[in-house]
Amino acid sequence: MAELQGLGAQLSEAEKSGVEIVAISPDPNEESQKVAEGLHLGYRFLADRDLAVARRFGLVHQRGGPDGQDVPRPATIVLDRDGVVRWLSVSRNFQVRPDPGDVLRAVRAL
Amino acid sequence: MSTSARLSILSILVAIGAVAAYVQLFRVAIIRNHPEGYVIAFALATALAALGVARAQRRRWPAWLVLGFSALLLIAGAWFNFVAARVPATPTALHVGERAPDFTLPDATGRPVSLVEYRGKKPVVIVFYRGYW
Repeated sequence: MAELQGLGAQLSEAEKSGVEIVAISPDPNEESQKVAEGLHLGYRFLADRDLAVARRFGLVHQRGGPDGQDVPRPATIVLDRDGVVRWLSVSRNFQVRPDPGDVLRAVRAL
Repeated sequence: MSTSARLSILSILVAIGAVAAYVQLFRVAIIRNHPEGYVIAFALATALAALGVARAQRRRWPAWLVLGFSALLLIAGAWFNFVAARVPATPTALHVGERAPDFTLPDATGRPVSLVEYRGKKPVVIVFYRGYW
């Protein structure tokens, strides 16, 4: 959640309408969506309850959750208009996320 | 106030300050992305507390108590950052220059959203996240 706020805060209004930010988590996403709307971030929160999409992307951290459950590996992926991966960051420490500036540079370079 | 007491108090301030700064400034990328900073602060707090013990003259137990507190934080913080928070590197299905797999997932209102909806229209930033971090 914290990184999403950092990313949204640096996007201009024009950029917010020109790029779709899709946040995927196994968590119930109603709360996240409320937070995002409160901050005018304009993200879409998608619920990946059984981690099916995280698995397809190869982004599952097995038994990495606090109760030993599988959780997604924190990752940020920039896709161009054709759905091609242009930039990718997968965390090796779950506290660490890509710098929002680096993500924005990847988006602006498209 | 004795030098020992001053060192012990400084140790507590450094340790608590590190925790407070990390929690408060968590949304600042440079703080979040350098979690080893709090481990370094706990090490500094432990060193100050050890100096406090060395300088203590009569009543030594408060200085020892502070040393125990800061050493415990150092061990717990180092374990959390270097062991618990590690994410194993496993191969992903994503490669720069290749198309990402398509998917359909429900949004917050339950409406299904597919990645292909954006194809030819908009770049997409996908963020996989979990809980607080």
